[in-house]
Amino acid sequence: MSLIEIRGLSKSFGKNVVLDNVDLDINEGEVVAIIGPSGTGKSTLLRSLNLLEKPEAGTVTIDGKTFDLTTKVSKEKLELRKQTEMVFQQFNLFKNRTALENVMEGLTVVKKEKKEEAKKQALFELERVGMGDRLGHYPRHLSGGQQQRVAIARALALKPKLLLMDEPTSALDPELVGEVLLTIKKIAKEGFTILLVTHEMDFVKSVANRIIFLENGKVVANGSPREIFDNPTSDRLKSFLRNINMLQSADDYSI
Amino acid sequence: MAKLFDGKLVITEIPDLLEYLPTTIYLTLVALVVGLVIGLLIALVRMNRIPVLNQIAIAFVSIVRGTPIIVQLYITYFGIPIALKYFNYYHGTSFNINGIPGILFAMVALGLNQSAFDSETIRAAIQSVDKGQIEAAKSMGMNGGQVLRRVILPQAAAVALLPLGNSFISLIKGTSLAFTCSVVEITAAGKILAGRNYRYFEVYCSLAIIYWVITFILERILALVEKKITIPEQPPEDKNASPRKEESK
Ligand SMILES: Nc1ncnc2c1ncn2[C@@H]1O[C@H](COP(=O)(O)OP(=O)(O)OP(=O)(O)O)[C@@H](O)[C@H]1O
Ligand SMILES: [Mg+2]
Repeated sequence: MSLIEIRGLSKSFGKNVVLDNVDLDINEGEVVAIIGPSGTGKSTLLRSLNLLEKPEAGTVTIDGKTFDLTTKVSKEKLELRKQTEMVFQQFNLFKNRTALENVMEGLTVVKKEKKEEAKKQALFELERVGMGDRLGHYPRHLSGGQQQRVAIARALALKPKLLLMDEPTSALDPELVGEVLLTIKKIAKEGFTILLVTHEMDFVKSVANRIIFLENGKVVANGSPREIFDNPTSDRLKSFLRNINMLQSADDYSI
Repeated sequence: MAKLFDGKLVITEIPDLLEYLPTTIYLTLVALVVGLVIGLLIALVRMNRIPVLNQIAIAFVSIVRGTPIIVQLYITYFGIPIALKYFNYYHGTSFNINGIPGILFAMVALGLNQSAFDSETIRAAIQSVDKGQIEAAKSMGMNGGQVLRRVILPQAAAVALLPLGNSFISLIKGTSLAFTCSVVEITAAGKILAGRNYRYFEVYCSLAIIYWVITFILERILALVEKKITIPEQPPEDKNASPRKEESK
């Protein structure tokens, strides 16, 4: 049995079917990357898992506990949201709180931890992402890359069973992408289970255990980086890889 | 020639006027609270587009903003008794219209006037809070109340502080119109005082000084609060690191 089991996840916006009965399993400690063309439902998939979107159907089982993604019971929603944490493209740090306070916030408010305890934990997480020397800095004092690292610390502090990352580097200036990718690589090595959307294909190749190719709301391909990049079987995947210049195999005629 | 201007009187009259300062302050504070509470309610009605109430709120704000406050005071002062008379007539009740103290009318009128202006300020302030931060708070597992208290209100308050402070200051001066509801606050007291010795100019000078000092103190306090909640321009000089230290790694 996998740590995370998503079953029958469907979501439409009006007539636009964005996710069509998606099933997905994620094992403990796995880094699963979702790739696919723009507008294909990658963000919607992540956002549905912590109910920032309201799916029409679907369940997710996390560590043996099954949650109905269509639930209207706020207690169940909060319970589910505590299992996962999201790292956003735009960082979304609380701008009126310092780096330290941002990381402590969930610990004191949601987990009801004592201040000293929360502070200890927050310091540990900020050290882990290399931000231990910017505790009193507000988001406005930090570069995009530093903000994203604080946001990662904020998510890690809540000890999520699954970390959701939606294009964590695509709002960054090119020279700041590296530090964030390094941080993600580090926490992946430390054993966190991560579901990641990104356009950084080289990064995906080096850090993901498994890659999901999502197109038109369906999982079209699901395999190891090798299977996806070196031996793609699906024509749609091939044409996607060709479009982003990631197909190097012999059957690439499009030069 | 008789003394045209009695400068000493300007000062010596101040203590007599200050006896009525509690009325001015009482009126201001009640109208302030009424304005903020109803203003917040109107803002919530408008942001959630609650049917019927939304239309009423829009009309109310438009009318209040489009009419002079002195007219609003008169309408309240004469309108509420007329409404009560009708109410008594149709429900067979016997509320004593003359038993209502004038200050109550002034509180209602000034409070409602404030609420119309505050509602717009509050609405804009709440809407200015970044949706991404609200999503971040939700995805942490905060419930609605926690999101409101920990994320929305602190940031909205910072945005609304200055405009609400300005509206508070104009409220204090607005209470000088409460004489329309036969309230004797400091301005009305000044007129009565001047009626005895015909030293109108002096008493208005005394009043000007009093209002200005109050407003001045308030502005100082507001500036202090603002400084407290504004995020500093510069990062702190951490003990263990200078802000410009090079990236380790
Ligand atoms: N709030 C919304 N209302 C209506 N349609 C939406 C909404 N959010 C997303 N969509 C639509 O759902 C589809 C999937 O969007 P989504 O953001 O999940 O795509 P994506 O795969 O993350 O794309 P990208 O790579 O550009 O980020 C798109 O067609 C988009 O227009
Ligand atoms: Mg997206």
